Amino acid sequence: MIFKQFRFEPLAQASYLVGCPRAKECVIVDPIEDLGAESYVLDAADLGLTIVAVLETHVHADYVSCARELAEMNGVPHYLHEAARGLVKYEFTPFEDGHVWEVGGVRIKAMHTPGHTPEHTSYVVTDTPRSDDPWFVLTGDSLFVGDVGRPDLLLGDAAMDVMDEGERAETQYRSVTEKLFALPEHVEVYPNHYGGSTCGGVNMSGKATSTIAFEKRFNLAMRQGTPQEFAAFVKETAKPFPDNYGHIKSYNLGLIDREQLKQAGV
Amino acid sequence: MPDIQEHRLLDARGLLCPMPVVKAGKEIKSLADGEILKILATDRGSIVDFPAWADDTGNELMEWHEQEGGVFVFFIKKVEED
Amino acid sequence: MTPQEVQAAMEGGAVVLDMRPPKPFAKEHVPGAVNFQFNRADLADRAEMALPQEGSYIVHAEPVPIAKVAVDILTKAGFSVTGYLDGGVKGWKEAGLSTEELPLIDVDQLEAGLDGYRVIDTRERFEFKYGHVPGSEVLEWTEPWSAFEEVDDAKQLALVCGDQVRSCYVASVMQRAGKDACLVFGGMVDWVERGYPVEKSGSGAQAP
Repeated sequence: MIFKQFRFEPLAQASYLVGCPRAKECVIVDPIEDLGAESYVLDAADLGLTIVAVLETHVHADYVSCARELAEMNGVPHYLHEAARGLVKYEFTPFEDGHVWEVGGVRIKAMHTPGHTPEHTSYVVTDTPRSDDPWFVLTGDSLFVGDVGRPDLLLGDAAMDVMDEGERAETQYRSVTEKLFALPEHVEVYPNHYGGSTCGGVNMSGKATSTIAFEKRFNLAMRQGTPQEFAAFVKETAKPFPDNYGHIKSYNLGLIDREQLKQAGV
Repeated sequence: MPDIQEHRLLDARGLLCPMPVVKAGKEIKSLADGEILKILATDRGSIVDFPAWADDTGNELMEWHEQEGGVFVFFIKKVEED
Repeated sequence: MTPQEVQAAMEGGAVVLDMRPPKPFAKEHVPGAVNFQFNRADLADRAEMALPQEGSYIVHAEPVPIAKVAVDILTKAGFSVTGYLDGGVKGWKEAGLSTEELPLIDVDQLEAGLDGYRVIDTRERFEFKYGHVPGSEVLEWTEPWSAFEEVDDAKQLALVCGDQVRSCYVASVMQRAGKDACLVFGGMVDWVERGYPVEKSGSGAQAP
């Protein structure tokens, strides 16, 4: 298994390379424009790996994604959960909950964990030469270390938002308790953001990795007893909105182009 | 296994074979007899390269293992030729 | 450079340097291309050790950002690089041009059919001495191309190294010279892992 966590500190954003050293193939998850498609391509080449797919956990609102560029540059699919159909205005490759990618000996399974956004998906990764049990989960913005993704990054358009803040919070709560926390306790947690990011609340840790066991016991948001208490807690502990999130989300959805993004001052 | 304390670390990750061995050869020149060089390499060929190199140069390959992420760690003890 | 421009340059003696990893190269490549895997850390060092300094090269690397970095590294290392192939293998085929394949076998296939191959080990002499495929011969990857081109291929040549990077380079030079060659994917690391017999020192007779 080859695993790399790339961190872009100014936005406290983490992206990932997951690959198989024998098959010499890898996937990139949540690539960020600030690092640039070229840097992922060169990093993969340095490892002698061919990029076979680009995956995103969700359509991001706090940073410009380069997933489209990276996928096109390599002639490989750009994957988003099928719930993004109708929301995203460009071509992408949809998948269903439970979809499995086999990258050599590495098995990646899609676990639909909506809430933060309707299409949000976590990726459960198993290194089959080592075990049949999953090893770690890329949780995107659903579950952070010490915190959870916020449910209030809305565009103000019911068709695009799909769920309102209340629905998002409840759905988020269920996604974490019923799906993520149902994973074996030893499973490591690797999120899309860490301390400093405005995608979660004030309790987000500056450490960019944890385990299901630890988060089950010590994640304050998840220790709220009901979805309603959870929603209230998340609201109380929210941070300021990410800069330019409306424009960034619109760009990542394909509603506006680069030129318009630039004109909006991003 | 007991931890081996190295005197010098050579980071040869990202180098393709035979470069890890070539660099190790250069690096070990400036070590004293008995000192230990720790090498990190990602090239799979290193698994056969280092034992062969140690055998050829008379240095001692004390131990090697694979770490997470496809990194191979080698501990070589310098043996001065008489 | 367009495929047509690359083709014209090849006719003029330029060498296409295919810098993709061995597997995609073996599947299909520009006829006559020499494989030399890209990385940033030591491309210049390896190129200086093995590639002929004279002559001009055309880089084929995918995607384009890698080609640009490769051209830069090789040029700074003193090689004459005319440019890079735009559009990669896809563009080459779309231009109606044919591609070549380098046969791949794994160590199980090599072991099963050992008598039918002339096994050439492209590693350094000390690596060969320490342990090699029984009956194989050493021909170091840093030898001049003429040495590779002169090897007798009455029996199909099977190229071996630690894994498959150096052996793919040599195999491609041999194929370029019209030799019947195949690449042993997985090399000595897989051979040893399987527990197949290993010969120490012994003949090591210099090919050809």
